[in-house]
Amino acid sequence: MLKVVSKEVLGARLPKNIRALCVATHSQKFRTSEDKPSYHSSSNSAQYYKIPQDIRNQLFAHGGIPKSYNIQTKSFAETCLMVREPSLDIINCIKSIDYSKPVNRFVLYGKKGSGKSLALAHVVHYGLETGHLILHVPWVGQWMRYCKEYSNSELKPGNVDINLDAANWLVHFKTQNAHVLSNADLVIGQDYVWSKREKTQKGAHILELIEHGISRVKYASSCVLGLCMEIKELSKKGKCKTMVAIDGYNGFFYPKTRVYTEKKEMVPPSKVTVTEGFLEVTKFDWNNAVCVLTVDEIASAKEDQLSHMPKYLLGKEGFEHLDPFIPVAVNEYTDKEFTSCMEYYRERKWVQPAPGQDEELSFLSGSNPYKLMQICAGL
Amino acid sequence: MLRKFNARLLQLSNNAACTQLVSKLPLCTSAPIEDANKKVVSKAMKAYLERAKEHDEFMAQKNLEFQIGKRHLANMMGENPETFTQEDVDNAISYLFPSGLFEKKARPLMKPPEEVFPQRKAAEFDLMGRPHHFLFYTGKPNFYKLLYDIVERVNECNRYEDAMNRKSIQRDPNLVLEMSGYQWLDKDALEKQCVEGINDKEYNNFKDAMERLTKLPYSYKVKDFIMEYSRPLMMQTKTHDVPELQYDKDGKAFITTYECLRKRARADVTVSSPGTGKITINGEGINYFDDIHCREQLLFPLIFTNLHKNVDVVANVEGGGPAGQAGAIRWGIAWSLRSFVDQEIVEKMRIAGLLTRDYRIRERKKPGQAGARKKFTWKKR
Repeated sequence: MLKVVSKEVLGARLPKNIRALCVATHSQKFRTSEDKPSYHSSSNSAQYYKIPQDIRNQLFAHGGIPKSYNIQTKSFAETCLMVREPSLDIINCIKSIDYSKPVNRFVLYGKKGSGKSLALAHVVHYGLETGHLILHVPWVGQWMRYCKEYSNSELKPGNVDINLDAANWLVHFKTQNAHVLSNADLVIGQDYVWSKREKTQKGAHILELIEHGISRVKYASSCVLGLCMEIKELSKKGKCKTMVAIDGYNGFFYPKTRVYTEKKEMVPPSKVTVTEGFLEVTKFDWNNAVCVLTVDEIASAKEDQLSHMPKYLLGKEGFEHLDPFIPVAVNEYTDKEFTSCMEYYRERKWVQPAPGQDEELSFLSGSNPYKLMQICAGL
Repeated sequence: MLRKFNARLLQLSNNAACTQLVSKLPLCTSAPIEDANKKVVSKAMKAYLERAKEHDEFMAQKNLEFQIGKRHLANMMGENPETFTQEDVDNAISYLFPSGLFEKKARPLMKPPEEVFPQRKAAEFDLMGRPHHFLFYTGKPNFYKLLYDIVERVNECNRYEDAMNRKSIQRDPNLVLEMSGYQWLDKDALEKQCVEGINDKEYNNFKDAMERLTKLPYSYKVKDFIMEYSRPLMMQTKTHDVPELQYDKDGKAFITTYECLRKRARADVTVSSPGTGKITINGEGINYFDDIHCREQLLFPLIFTNLHKNVDVVANVEGGGPAGQAGAIRWGIAWSLRSFVDQEIVEKMRIAGLLTRDYRIRERKKPGQAGARKKFTWKKR
């Protein structure tokens, strides 16, 4: 209590830059006051940074932070992410990328619960900060394995639409990119004829396409497909810088889905309309963009979760589609990261301090971040 | 009131009769009694003699059969019947009649008849039917004799104490009977020793009397007597010899324990030191076990000995489920860690139950029942 009061007093009297300094020196080792990912460096490694509430609402209101972590952030009354090596590496690489060259594809891979999605969230935050247009899919498995609804496509015979999910994603896209979409240069390069009466004309702003998908849910899937194509074209022309961030990318190549035709036949992902759009934006044949993908065992069915390696998860087709890509391993906590995490939990009064606690928990969790979170969480 | 009075009268007359008898006794001494000995054999004695004879014949018969059987057995096993010992007999029986029965007493056996048939008391009275033992009419002469002896010892100690007090000699405080590591003979053993049935109340009386005797300041004087009726508590079990450490090429100390078992799981565990607390199970890390309680099983011996940062563990395990496998590895780790810690901690580990093998296995389902013990829902018809 005393601490909080003193901080407030500090905040009231001192100028902003000095205040930041004070907070930095006062704050603990496991925290950094630097909340801009572009300023994160290896000195911040294993430190937590707080995502401001407004940015969090903009980026992750419709997914992007795994559910269990989300619950924890609610308990902690703040959204903190740990700055870890994989995301730092990717951010450093993106900083030095030549955007005129073909797209670089980063693939995050690692065992279950090692923090791939949160690394992706960190990178997405960086993308927002640096003004990228963010094409972020929070979880492909949501579409392929837990889709809300499916119907045969009218515009593309033989394909299957997942319109409700697609419309949700369009809303997600719109809120995430509110800062970029105000740019008047983003115009559509071709006519889209939806039906006899409805059409979106060439030269209209890209928001019209999105709004159409949201208001006419029937065409949402096709809108997503069109949107991906348009963004690709716009990036090629240099109208925008794009960051493609897809979590559970291997879901697009895993043959067993839970999407069915009206005859209840299983549909392979290639026959789901939205897939085509996202495969298109993960090709190398465009520029002014960067792709950050994760491959995750959980995107495939339980019986096929044999390995966490990209080659296995993507399969031959997916691997060839992405080749060449930059694999980035996400490993278990190092000792430093583990201590930092425990310090954070203790600061949040989430665990009772006890002697020998860290070693025991480190052993029990195998330093796996998700397992540690589970062990420390309440019953 | 009247009845009481009558009873009193009767008592008085009885007493009078007794005194009369006693006064008469010395007059009619030896001669008539000897005559009686020759002629009169009491009915009880007669019955006893018959029973004794029968028993002796029976035992002789059984003994003969046993000897013949033993010789046959020795011939069957191709050994010399003359040197065939009881141990050989037991081995031969367990070889010829292998039995999976859990209860050892229920397995086939071949023992000398003296061990198989319960022993009987010898005659307790003479031909006249007069008991030898002065406590015969208590029904349990040996047991009450024991209590009597205890009181004798108590008195003896008290007398000695008085004598010492009179001489005002201080007791040597070092000479105290230490009974903390001992317990009294249990009821069954006492029954066997007295050859008499004893009920719980009587057994408690025995214990109380012994306690009282040992509490006396000079009870060490009757130590032999007390020790006769006490047994040492479970002695510090000699844990099997701790194996010597082995050293690999890099000079790393290691111990491998084979045949670690729990339920259906079998494991072999190698613990090596110095290490960093790394655990490898079938080539995987601790993630081999999904459940947290299985992981805790492995951690327990390491935390207990405070070596979790100093040793590496490599385990190969197969069979059974996760809980069994974890238990098997836990035992293997604890068993191997004995070589890395001192005797005191080994003893602590033993008391904590880390070195005890858990031989329990799943009990089979029984026909006519829902499970091993569970019955089907009972329905009248």
